[in-house]
Amino acid sequence: MDFSKISTGEETEVRLTGRLEFTDHDRLRDIVELVEHPGTQRFIIALSELEFIDSAGLGMLLILQEEAESRNVKMIVRGARGDVKRSIDLARLDEIITIEP
Amino acid sequence: MAAPALSLSDCRVLIVDDNEFNRKSLALVIRRAGISDIAFAENGREGLAAVDRFRPDLVLLDVDMPVMNGWEMCEALRRNATHEELPVLFQTALDSDEEQVRCFEAGGSDFISKPIKPGECVARVRHQLEKRKLFNDLANFRERVQRELSHARAMQTSLLPEKRRLAEVADRYGLTLDAHFETSSELGGDFWGLYPLGDRRLGLLLVDFAGHGITAAINTFRLHTLIDRFPMQHAAPSQWLAQLNAALKDVLPTGQFATAFFGILDLATDTLTFAAAGSPNPVLGIPTGAGGNGPEIRLLDSAGLVLGASRRAQYVDQSFRLPRGGFLFLYSDALIECGGEEWGPLGQDAVPDFVRDGLARDRVHPLHPMMERFYARTNLPLRDDLTAVWLARRA
Repeated sequence: MDFSKISTGEETEVRLTGRLEFTDHDRLRDIVELVEHPGTQRFIIALSELEFIDSAGLGMLLILQEEAESRNVKMIVRGARGDVKRSIDLARLDEIITIEP
Repeated sequence: MAAPALSLSDCRVLIVDDNEFNRKSLALVIRRAGISDIAFAENGREGLAAVDRFRPDLVLLDVDMPVMNGWEMCEALRRNATHEELPVLFQTALDSDEEQVRCFEAGGSDFISKPIKPGECVARVRHQLEKRKLFNDLANFRERVQRELSHARAMQTSLLPEKRRLAEVADRYGLTLDAHFETSSELGGDFWGLYPLGDRRLGLLLVDFAGHGITAAINTFRLHTLIDRFPMQHAAPSQWLAQLNAALKDVLPTGQFATAFFGILDLATDTLTFAAAGSPNPVLGIPTGAGGNGPEIRLLDSAGLVLGASRRAQYVDQSFRLPRGGFLFLYSDALIECGGEEWGPLGQDAVPDFVRDGLARDRVHPLHPMMERFYARTNLPLRDDLTAVWLARRA
C-alpha cells in the first residue's frame, strides 16, 4: 500500500493506493500521525484507488477510527469500489465508521 | 556506540603449532584477553584428534608443520559437518597473495601474520569468537522458537474436531462431513467447531480472526474458552453471536476482530438457521427433482458487523431449507483471496462453479477435488489461513 495526503486547514485527506493488507501494519503508524496532526478536524480516507483490502486492512480502518474518535476528529471513509467496497459492506463497517460513496 | 565486548572467559581455543615457543607465546597473548581454556597440538593429525576431544570454539592453526600441515587439517575439518562452522585462524609467515588465498580456500576464517602482533591477534580472535557466540545464540533462539511454535501448533490443532469426531457426528446425524485446515505460518487465526444440540440439532461455527500468526492464534484460544460460556441450546444463532461479540469486544484490542458464521441445522424441520458476521458467503445446495441439472446452488448473504469491533453489534437470523441431499459449504477468505501467478485469486463469484466442479469430480466427497484444484492454482505458502468445511445431508 502507498498513500499520499492533501491537507487543507482543518481537513486532511489520505489517499490509499494498491493493496491494504497484513504486511502494511508498520505503515499504519504513519497514517495515525496524520490524525494526530494539530488542527485536524475532519479526516478523510479516500479508497477509490485502493485495489484490495484484507481483514487486517479492515482492522486498520477500525484502529484509525478509534484514534480519530479519541481526538474528536471526524473520520470518513470515501470512494471504496469493487472488491474493497464488497469487503467493507460484508463486514458492515458502516455501523462503526462513516462510509461515503 | 559499539556494543559492550562479550566475555570470552568460557571460550575454548586450540593452538596447533609444531614450535613450542610459538605455542607458548600465542597462549600468553590470548590468556591476557581473558581466555584460559587452551589446548595444544603439534601437528595437523594431533590437531584433528584434539578438536574431537577438546571441542574448541576456535582453532589457531600454523600452516607449515610436519605429518599434516595446517591447510590439510583445515580441509579435513571442513569435510566433517560437525566442524563446518568452527572458526579457524591461520597463523602464517607466508606473505604471498597466493599462499594467503590458499588459507581461505582450505576453509580458514581469517589469518594472522607471523611474527604475531599481540594486539592484532587478540582483535582477530575476539572477532571470530564473538561472531560464533552470536551465531550460536541466534541458532539456539531459532531452535527454541521453532520448538515452541510446533507445540503451539499441536495445541491449536487440538481445538478443532478430529477426524474420528467428524465421523461420529456424521453418523449420528446422517451427514457427510469433510474438513480442511491449513495455516499460512506455524499458527493461524481460523477456528471451527461442531456442537451436537440433542438428537436432531447440530451447531456449526466457523470463525476467522483478522491477520494470522501468533496474535491471531492466541485469539483462537481466547475464543475457545469463551464458547463454553454461552450455551447454544436455547439461543437463536443471532443471540449467541451477539453474546460472543460482546465477550470478544472485552478481550480484543482495537483493530483485532473476527468474521464468523454460526448456524444450527435442524434435521426434524430440514432447516438451517444462521447468523453471520462478515464471513465469506456460504454456499447452499438444494437437490432438484428427478431430471434436474444437479443441485440448485446459491451464495448466502453473510454480511454482518465483524465480531469484537463494537459492543452495539446486532446480528440477524436467516433460515433456509436444507433437506436430505442438500449441502452447505463454508470456507475462510483464503479460498477466494489467495492465488498464484498464472491464475489470480478465485474470487467470491466463482465459488458456486468451483463447488459444481468439485461435485462433478466426486459427488460424495467434493472437498478433496476442490482443495486439489485450489492448491494447483495457488502459490505456497498461503498468505492467509484456509479452512473449508463440507456438510451434506445424506439422501
